[in-house]
This record gives sequence, C-alpha cells and structure tokens, in this order.
Amino acid sequence: MNWRKIRIFVFTLLALCLIPATRYYQIDEPLLKLLRGSNHVDPLSLHLSGEFVENNLGTEQDADGSVTVRMIAQQYLFVPHCILVPAGVPVHLKITSADAVHSLTLNGTNYAVKTLPGTISLAELQFPHAGDYKTVCREFCGAGHYAMRSEFKVVPRDQFPALRAGERGACVLQ
Amino acid sequence: MISSLLCVPEKGGPVFCNKRRASSGRSIARGIPIMLTVMVAAGSLILVASDAAPDRIPSFVTWSAENIAAASSGDAFRGSLLAKRCDHCHGAEGFSPVASTPNLAGMNMLSIWKQLEDFRSHKRRSRPMEPIAESLTPRDVADVVSYYAELPVFPDPQDNRVFPGMQPEAGRAAVAARLVTFGDGERGIPPCQSCHGPVAYRVGVPSLMAQNGDYVLNQLEMFASRSRSNDINLPMRTIAALLSEDERHALAEYYGAGLGLQPAGSSGSK
Repeated sequence: MNWRKIRIFVFTLLALCLIPATRYYQIDEPLLKLLRGSNHVDPLSLHLSGEFVENNLGTEQDADGSVTVRMIAQQYLFVPHCILVPAGVPVHLKITSADAVHSLTLNGTNYAVKTLPGTISLAELQFPHAGDYKTVCREFCGAGHYAMRSEFKVVPRDQFPALRAGERGACVLQ
Repeated sequence: MISSLLCVPEKGGPVFCNKRRASSGRSIARGIPIMLTVMVAAGSLILVASDAAPDRIPSFVTWSAENIAAASSGDAFRGSLLAKRCDHCHGAEGFSPVASTPNLAGMNMLSIWKQLEDFRSHKRRSRPMEPIAESLTPRDVADVVSYYAELPVFPDPQDNRVFPGMQPEAGRAAVAARLVTFGDGERGIPPCQSCHGPVAYRVGVPSLMAQNGDYVLNQLEMFASRSRSNDINLPMRTIAALLSEDERHALAEYYGAGLGLQPAGSSGSK
C-alpha cells in the first residue's frame, strides 16, 4: 500500500469538492433548471406565445392580494422598463432572457436574479416601503451593458390601482 | 384519434392519415364521432380563447437558424434585377432621392428581410410597401435582400440622393453623439451604436450608418406613439418613448448628416 499516493488522492478530491462549495452562489436555480431542462421557454419565440407575450408583461394582480411581475431581459433593456408594484405585498417575479445571460440587481443590495435564455427565473420579493427602486444588469451582456437599467416604482398599497383581469400595471406606456 | 388530428391534408385530397381506412365506408362512419369530438373541442377552444385578451404579437418573425439561413441564402445578381422595381423610391444605388424614404445600401440582410416579412403579414403598416412585399416570393425576398446588403455605403456623389444631409448645429450634434456613444444610464437608454452599428449589431437590427434623417425621425416618432409596433420584445418602443422630442430630432439630424458612418467619439463626430 502506498499511503502517500492515497493521501494525495484524498486531498485532491477534498480540494475539488471545495471549489463548488466556495462558489455555491453561482450554481443557482436557473442554471440548474436549464441543465435539468425544466421550466423551459423558447427564447426566440417569447413574443409569439406563452406567458411572455408583450401584453402579458408587467404586474398582474393575483387572487390572494400578491402580485406577479413578468419581465424579459434582453440586450440592453429590461422590458417593461418601469414596473409599478404595491409596497408590503409579496411580489412573484418571473423573468427570462431573450438573448444573453443577464442579472437583475436591485441597487444598494447584493440581491440578484440571474436570467438565462431558455429558462424562467423565479424570485420572491417584497418591498417594505414606497419609493423608486433602481435596478441594473450585473452580468456583462455586451456593448450597451452599463446602460441596461430599469426601475420598480413602489407605491403604497392603498394607492396601487385595483387591476382588472387581463390588465397590467405599468408606469410607462405599455 | 390523435394521429388523425395531426395529419396534414394532401394536395386536392381530404384530411386523412391512413388512405386504406379512408377508402372503406365503414371507417368513415367510424370517423363521424371523431369529427364531432374535434368540432366540439375546437368550439370550446374558441370560447376559452375569446374569454382572455388576445395575445398582441409584434411580428411573426423568429430568429431561428432556419429563418436566418433562408434570409441569407439569396442570389445577389437575381436580386439586382428584381430591385429595378425598387429604384424609383429607394434609388438606383440604394440611396433614396427623398429623405423620408429609407436608404437600403449596405443594410444588414436580416433587417430588410424582417421588414419585408412584417409588411407581408401586415405587422408593419405601409401603403406602398405592403402590396409590394405581398407580391414577392420568399426567394425573391432573399435575393433582393442580398443585393442591397452588397451595395457600398459610399455612393456616387453625382447620384440623385439626399444623403448625407445638412450638418447639425454643434450643440445638437453633441447631444446626439452622447446618446449614440454612451446612451443615458440614468434613464436606462442604451447607446444606439451598441445595436445599430458601427460598434455592434443585434440580430435583425438595421444599420443606421447611412440612413436618411427624416426617415429616422419618422420611425422614432412612430415607435414612441406605438403606431409602429413590429419590434420584437419592445426595445424600440421603450427607447423611443424615453427619448425627448429634442433628442429624437438631434439623433435624426446626426444620422442624416452621415455622422453615424464612424463610431461616435472619433474625429467624424466633432
């Protein structure tokens, strides 16, 4: 028995295990979903059918009082550009990418939602106070990456307009 | 039953999957309940669909590998013969004699191809272009597109054309050059040249290097007012609405004067 060789082998194995352990935050939900093939959308035909058609983007009022926000990240815009959401209410964010890898980050936080083409990223947010929450793209996505910004306009819950079925709350012309 | 639903009708024949079955009377009688089921299912689908708002589809074009291959496999020589029809408005060298008509010289293949497809499906409205696009076969479109893509962006100066137009006032040119190079990060406006060239292009995005100013202005205003809405996933409708009236004019003058031929920030834009 060559204990020295075994020892080297075991330590190499442990060191290899450390790499994913230290970079666990990069092995995130959308990437795993993409690899598993679940939650699939066709990034090329988002505009033709499915839940990311353009009149379905934006805020949708759910029956239990929470809201669902659907967004597309693309070079070099988040669409819709400005999203109206009520404060103190659970926000279910569904975001997908039409081209490259993007990452929706809320300014002043280290919270980011990575968006990959071909899969829907889900995030649960809740904005405690009213105000404008700026977002930026944190994943380098191309020549216009640094200008890829948008905002969540959070209004007090009582000022959030009661949305009818099929209506999308947006603070820009939609 | 499902396989009978998936069948494609043959030329001049009924929609039957299995010809042997179709030929016997008994199986046709067996097919009647199937047809009734299909009709009921279709009817209920229509009812469900009418309940929800219809999907707003900007364009039927997708940038799949097949579409890109179809759009870029044209024959430029045949296209040059077909493009004789286009000369009257778009100019013999792809530079139009009227500022409100787009120049097509050196335009990316995929962008002209997409616009012709959208004219054909009436997703982009234009009184002259819709019937013209309808009269072209897919091969004609690919040929014309490859012809215009090959034309040089520096035309014969004696040609009857309006491009490049008047040089804009220095202050306005600076505003436009800033938007073209850097965009406006505060408002989330990406730089024009990161998609429209000459720095980078997105798939299917037109080059603005040699475009007429009036045409650019018209399109920006139509995008802002949503009277043109064939941009996939709303990029231009969003950006045009974010730009102010002055900025749209400045950008149109900038591109119309030929300043977009070089990357902004180089000596050409001063």
